[in-house]
Amino acid sequence: MYDVTRRQLIAGAGLGGVAILSGAVLPARADTVRLALYNGQHRPPVEALVAAFTQATGIEVATRNGNSAQLASQLIEEGPNSPADVFWSEESPSLAAIAEKGLLVPLAADTLAAVPETYHAKDGTWTGATARCRVVVYNKSMIEPASLPPSVLDFAAEAWADKVAFAPNSGAFQQQIVAVSLLKGRDAALAWLKGLKQYGRVYNSDSAAVEAVESGEIETALSNNYYWHALAREIGADDMQSAIHNIGHGDPGTLITVSGAGVLKTSKNADAAQKFVAFMVSAEGQAAIVGAIAEYPLRPGVVSPFPLTPFDQLDPAPVTPAQLGTAEDALALLREADLA
Amino acid sequence: MSEFLGEVPGGVVPARRRWRRVGRPSLLLILAALVPTVLIALPVVYVLIRSWDAGWSGIVAELLRPRTVLLFVNTTTLTVCVTLFSVLIGFAAAWCTERCDLPMPALWRVLCSLPLAMPAFVASFAWKSLGPEFQGLPGAILILTMESFPLVFLPAAAALRSMDPGMEEVSRSLGHGPWQSFVAIVVPRMLPALGGAALLVTAHMLSEFGALSLLRVQTFTTAIFQQYELQFDNASAAVLSAVLMLLCLPVAWAEMRLRKGARFAKVGRNTARRGSPVRLGRAKPLIMLVFVLLAIVSLGVPFGRLLYWLVKGVSAGRGLDAIVPALWGSLSLAIPGTLVTTLVALPLVLLALKSRGPIARLADRLPYIVHGLPGLVVALALVYIAIRVLPAVYQTSTLVFAAYAILFMPLAQSAIRASAELVPREIEEVARTLGRGPAAAFLSVTLPALAPGLGAALALVALELMRELTATLILAPTGVTTLATEVWSHTNDSAYAAAAPFAAMLVLISGVPVYFFTLRTLNGQRSRAVS
Repeated sequence: MYDVTRRQLIAGAGLGGVAILSGAVLPARADTVRLALYNGQHRPPVEALVAAFTQATGIEVATRNGNSAQLASQLIEEGPNSPADVFWSEESPSLAAIAEKGLLVPLAADTLAAVPETYHAKDGTWTGATARCRVVVYNKSMIEPASLPPSVLDFAAEAWADKVAFAPNSGAFQQQIVAVSLLKGRDAALAWLKGLKQYGRVYNSDSAAVEAVESGEIETALSNNYYWHALAREIGADDMQSAIHNIGHGDPGTLITVSGAGVLKTSKNADAAQKFVAFMVSAEGQAAIVGAIAEYPLRPGVVSPFPLTPFDQLDPAPVTPAQLGTAEDALALLREADLA
Repeated sequence: MSEFLGEVPGGVVPARRRWRRVGRPSLLLILAALVPTVLIALPVVYVLIRSWDAGWSGIVAELLRPRTVLLFVNTTTLTVCVTLFSVLIGFAAAWCTERCDLPMPALWRVLCSLPLAMPAFVASFAWKSLGPEFQGLPGAILILTMESFPLVFLPAAAALRSMDPGMEEVSRSLGHGPWQSFVAIVVPRMLPALGGAALLVTAHMLSEFGALSLLRVQTFTTAIFQQYELQFDNASAAVLSAVLMLLCLPVAWAEMRLRKGARFAKVGRNTARRGSPVRLGRAKPLIMLVFVLLAIVSLGVPFGRLLYWLVKGVSAGRGLDAIVPALWGSLSLAIPGTLVTTLVALPLVLLALKSRGPIARLADRLPYIVHGLPGLVVALALVYIAIRVLPAVYQTSTLVFAAYAILFMPLAQSAIRASAELVPREIEEVARTLGRGPAAAFLSVTLPALAPGLGAALALVALELMRELTATLILAPTGVTTLATEVWSHTNDSAYAAAAPFAAMLVLISGVPVYFFTLRTLNGQRSRAVS
């Protein structure tokens, strides 16, 4: 019944050709050898480091930006077909998760030796590059620092109703959940989350929570320290309405978390990839990173230009990145508390 | 039924019947329609497979959570309110500019069309940086209505222009009051245009992510994103996606019902006569004041904030050299993406007009079912399939174009269909009897006749693709950025001043398709009438 004429075929081929041509406007992949960096860390420090790295080595880097957990799941999904060379994660649990799946190769011994042992994987598959701290950000005109509670657990109470901003989506908050669970028990962690759900106010990200404190929308926020510094740089430190409070004395309210990187097993540029991670923990690389974000350099001897609370005065919770692991239980807890 | 309204000018046989006389669609057309059908099926299959991973008990548990109920309430409240307010404002504004003696109608028309160039997440970023009052559901309804009503205004204005005032005059002469005539004559004839636009707004609301995320409103779409960010596997995100697809079903069904009555809108398209305008009298200054207020809220505030951040802030200089690659990225994805989407939609429209069979109808409807899915889900489906089946296209622009086609095919379909229904089939048959082959006849006769619809499809799809965020984020080749992704990532880091130049450029570039789309919608009727 259907009679396909030659003209029909030609016309069809023509249409198909147009579609393919328009698809070929962008080259499928770059021809030059470039490192493919999957980046979950904030962009300013990464862009600063990549620029310094390319200048120092001549190796170009193509960056794929995203959220760390999302990129980790993408890497797992890609498996043996992954085009990635290096994964730079904002949070260590994402690195631990792909290391657990056997997607990372061990880093060079010199790279691992550059930072204290506490801050890299036991099997050497990833290393921390910078650390940051969970803090309480408060609005100076709304609240006296003296009235802030001695523990982060105290915020989950009626006295703080509608006065605490937090971001359950934030990877660092999830690590804080695991830290509470490790130090105080799982039940305490669940009770804390349920209290926050009842009395706190959910924000989409730490930075949104910090902004809300700064604008006087809410009294306090649970956040990473650097969001405050980023806002201070935008607004001007002298004009800031908010300030950072460190809880200290081993409370999970003061938790050290790290951002770090690993080299993918599938990397076709393994040497260059190893060089990149080595550069991240070199004196030059660390200076480039901490110049662009208010995080603590993990390599001893490097100094941050930001007015950070000295690392040795933080008195943080006694929980290491290795203990936080993949922070799997955080999600289960969030779901039990109906926050996810 | 709708074919016997007794208003068909000159007693011409309705278009649809003409099409039906023709024999079966060619094999080529069927094959061409297979491409979009397979594309659309991909996310549907993916969502079903991944939901299945959760198991029956998992699915039921997910659906019965109090959180799911909250998401349902938020999603439907937002969608219904924004759609309703957009229709009311868009229709009222169109009535004032087209049917009343409002001074300077051209100015108000432009002011009511321009918000189209402002992507919702850019507007939200502008409002949000103004203060916390605009966060939450009420703020989101306000902001999204302000950016959505032009989608109703434009087709409503076009329909009002093309409507024959004769019927209204007859009604008035029979003693009906102006309101009675309005309700009995004008409103029913506006329904297809208003309905089509309302469904467009509805689909936008169901799949909106960027704006709602900035405004702290949780809907199914933002929850799907949260799942994806939290979890290394996303079975529960898949369950939520399946719910979202179910929510799209009534929307798709309503669109189909409305289209059955679509002959209303076509009637009288050849009449250029304008009725005498409604005299506004003393209400005139008041109505003009309302228009000014509308312009301030929908345009003034977002543009003002954008300018403010453009000028202010130490981060303004940062990343400015990234604007050229981002602009290039936007254009190199959006322009071919627009062509692909329109080309892929074309055979679906032609097939549906030529064949009334159930398979052709299903193929025609399928795109509307996934239209409310967020770009993220479509992108994840393509990642899942590309890695397993076609690793060569993974992280290439080909996959981005496929996602664009899946997401925006219905827009192209609706626009092309509007033209295709007006093309007399006889023209192509005359070409055939004159010795042209079917393909040649199509290319030389039918395709040029479809030009207005294709033009509208291109402009509308280009506008959407410029601002597409989530599929682009996941699928774009490594190292490729677009204006939309740059705005998003800077805003996420609270670097408003750094985001501002990208946002301003995005609005500027969006102005081009908005200009063509507005011109076509508002002047198309007139020029056709002249010819």
